[in-house]
Amino acid sequence: MAREFQRGHKAKISDLTAGTDLYVGVQIAGPGLTFDISCFGLDAQERLSDDRYFVFFNQPQSPEGAIQQLGAQAGDTESFRVTLDRIPAQVRKLSFTATVDGAGQMSQIGPGHLRIVAGGEEVARYSFTGTEFSTERAVMLGDFYLKDVWRFAAVGQGFDGGLEALLRNFGGEVLEEEPETPAFQAPPEPATAAPAFAPPAQSGPPPAFAARRPRAPAGRPGTGTRLPGAAGPRARLPGPGTGPPGLPAPPGSTPPPAAPPQMHVAPTLAAPIAPPGYFTDQAPPAGGQVPPPPGPPGVPGRPASYGAQQPGPYGHPDRQQPYGQPPQAPPQAPQPYGQPFPGQPAPSYGQPVAAHGAAGVRAGLEKYREVPTGQRWTPQNPKLIRVDLGVDQQPVLARQGSMVLYQGKVDFGYKGAGFAGRIIGNATGQEMQLMRCTGRGQVFLAENSAHVHPIELQGDALCVSAESVLAFDESLQHEVRRIEGHGIPGGALFTMQFQGHGTVVVKTHGTPVVLPVTPTTFADSNAVVAWSAGAQVIVSSQVRLRRSSYPGHSGEAVNLQFRGAPGNFVVVQPYEV
Amino acid sequence: MTMNQTPIQGYAPTPVTARMENHGSSMLKVALQTGHDVFARSGSMVAYEGYVQYDPNPPAVRQMASQWITGEGLPLMRCHGDGLLYLADYGADVVCLQLNGDSLSVNGTNILAFDSHLQWGVERVKGMAKFAGQGLFNVGISGTGWVALTSRGAPIVVDCGRGEDETYVDPDALVAWSSNLRMKGKRSFKASSLIGRGSGEAYQLGFSGEGFVVVQPSEDSTDRLRARG
Repeated sequence: MAREFQRGHKAKISDLTAGTDLYVGVQIAGPGLTFDISCFGLDAQERLSDDRYFVFFNQPQSPEGAIQQLGAQAGDTESFRVTLDRIPAQVRKLSFTATVDGAGQMSQIGPGHLRIVAGGEEVARYSFTGTEFSTERAVMLGDFYLKDVWRFAAVGQGFDGGLEALLRNFGGEVLEEEPETPAFQAPPEPATAAPAFAPPAQSGPPPAFAARRPRAPAGRPGTGTRLPGAAGPRARLPGPGTGPPGLPAPPGSTPPPAAPPQMHVAPTLAAPIAPPGYFTDQAPPAGGQVPPPPGPPGVPGRPASYGAQQPGPYGHPDRQQPYGQPPQAPPQAPQPYGQPFPGQPAPSYGQPVAAHGAAGVRAGLEKYREVPTGQRWTPQNPKLIRVDLGVDQQPVLARQGSMVLYQGKVDFGYKGAGFAGRIIGNATGQEMQLMRCTGRGQVFLAENSAHVHPIELQGDALCVSAESVLAFDESLQHEVRRIEGHGIPGGALFTMQFQGHGTVVVKTHGTPVVLPVTPTTFADSNAVVAWSAGAQVIVSSQVRLRRSSYPGHSGEAVNLQFRGAPGNFVVVQPYEV
Repeated sequence: MTMNQTPIQGYAPTPVTARMENHGSSMLKVALQTGHDVFARSGSMVAYEGYVQYDPNPPAVRQMASQWITGEGLPLMRCHGDGLLYLADYGADVVCLQLNGDSLSVNGTNILAFDSHLQWGVERVKGMAKFAGQGLFNVGISGTGWVALTSRGAPIVVDCGRGEDETYVDPDALVAWSSNLRMKGKRSFKASSLIGRGSGEAYQLGFSGEGFVVVQPSEDSTDRLRARG
């Protein structure tokens, strides 16, 4: 479990992980912005005394290789590999920074993070958003520093002047003579240029990471089933902790864990912060007793009121302006709220916030914007998927009621009650009905906030519990199978077997687990979602896992045992229907 | 005496940077100031800090709301005072929006809070009358200020006016839309196919024009806050 850091938090690395071979991933993005993410190796005076320890796109590693830039990885805009015990003694601090290249400012960035991964597990994460910044053009995200032992600090300190201010902070005049500096500031396309400078490299594991991107062509010889994020020899669903046991570790010692399901793949933009003068933009409220204070903290005439109020949070008996009283002295108005929290840095309200002019609903919604791609199946977020019927011109069969939105000329028809269109299942007589979506346009499918996982079949066969099917390409052959067994509600478990070339969208409640089929693989019939058709299912009455019994419950669950050759897998959800 | 709080330290409130902001994905934090009241869904308050008072029966709402409710409790309360207000709706995702002269229509069950100085009113949407009995109502909000919405699952924003095609939305999944969109109801299924079905996709709302639609990945439009009574 990654430890969440807030701005200003510090911790010993040894408290986070026993390892010294660390992967540091930085995600930072904003619409139209490109970033240079660098690592400064500083001496005891916090100076960049040796410019070989300025690791950036033009210099992807330090001389002895203790700090290496790995380039973009799944979930991270930039990443570094840091081997703490190889860092030379004169380097006392590593500062990870991000600088806007070209126009832009930090308030425009979307949610980002700096995370530390050790031994394949994310151990620390510092998340930030553009709302924490304003017009800065550079930000120090986090530091590794040596104080007796190596420690990590989440910094989140912006620099108004951008790169200059950052460089000055790290050694001033020395840096201005550096050859890297002009290169750093120069063309507006370092992001595209960067790969040339930073070869995908070294002993790090980039190839394994790259394969994690949804639908990356993770060439898997043998069987043809591909799940997004399939990186290993067996298909895997995305999400932490879903890797089958025994998955060979990717080469390199510090692979990041499965990236948490990527919510918003597109560049994001967070809502801008409340601009100063926000309250002055509108008419006084009805009742008009008080001219609104211009902006929360920056009350004119009381510029220094912050510091003075700092020790007097509400709740203190000796505060000067009890909340309940109507504010005296209208122009100086009520105590601006939200500032005087003990122990928290006062936000930089006083600074001009350039973004506020452009603020609006659009900006706030930017991070939820539709993901544009030309693919047929595109997950929009973990719970919503879009199918573009225009690609391949193939109809899609979807569970009735799963359409939340569509654009274009799409016809919905009911799949006739023929072969597989209707499955009468369950003792309750519930039916699974499908609708056939044809035409030209995009259909957004989701159901009940369940996670959706597109699984692409390439000649392979997959069995999916009927309740877990959200949609599938009509090009797939599908048939309904019944698994009978005593104790299964309704007397049988209905599954749909898909075969051929196309995509099946499976829904799960919560993050599923993908288990490899071994001689002893069992799953609760209520929780099983899907399995590769090569696995044989046996209703197991001998093996009963006792659930905690309670009155009215027999305490036994029906288990399915799976048998099959290695390479088969079972998907189980943390939810029993 | 002191407990080891390290595991929960990461959840401490972050410094206030805006009038309304998220605390985690599903909690809203409002920095409340005297003179700048907020309307919030009744029953959505989960915590507050400071001096905050609640007016469960504000006259402004009573007047407006008479159109959409027929009974006892009002769906909105006025919160005033100075303090930090934490609101949530049964774990639904919270989306904070800053209106800057924009105008927005929001499904009533998806409103969590908004600045009281915004212009707002209950809207009757043509074609939505069918749902009136189910407590579905729309609120139009415009002006300059903050609005917080809820969504079951992370929402998705889709631009309308892409080409000439209209955008059709399942009313149960609809969260909000730009007010300037034209809207009409549509049955996209043939009557014959309706036989034997429940309330599926029989009815959609079609949007056209320049603007956007926000939908949630769930067709659960149950008003949990109302259900609580």
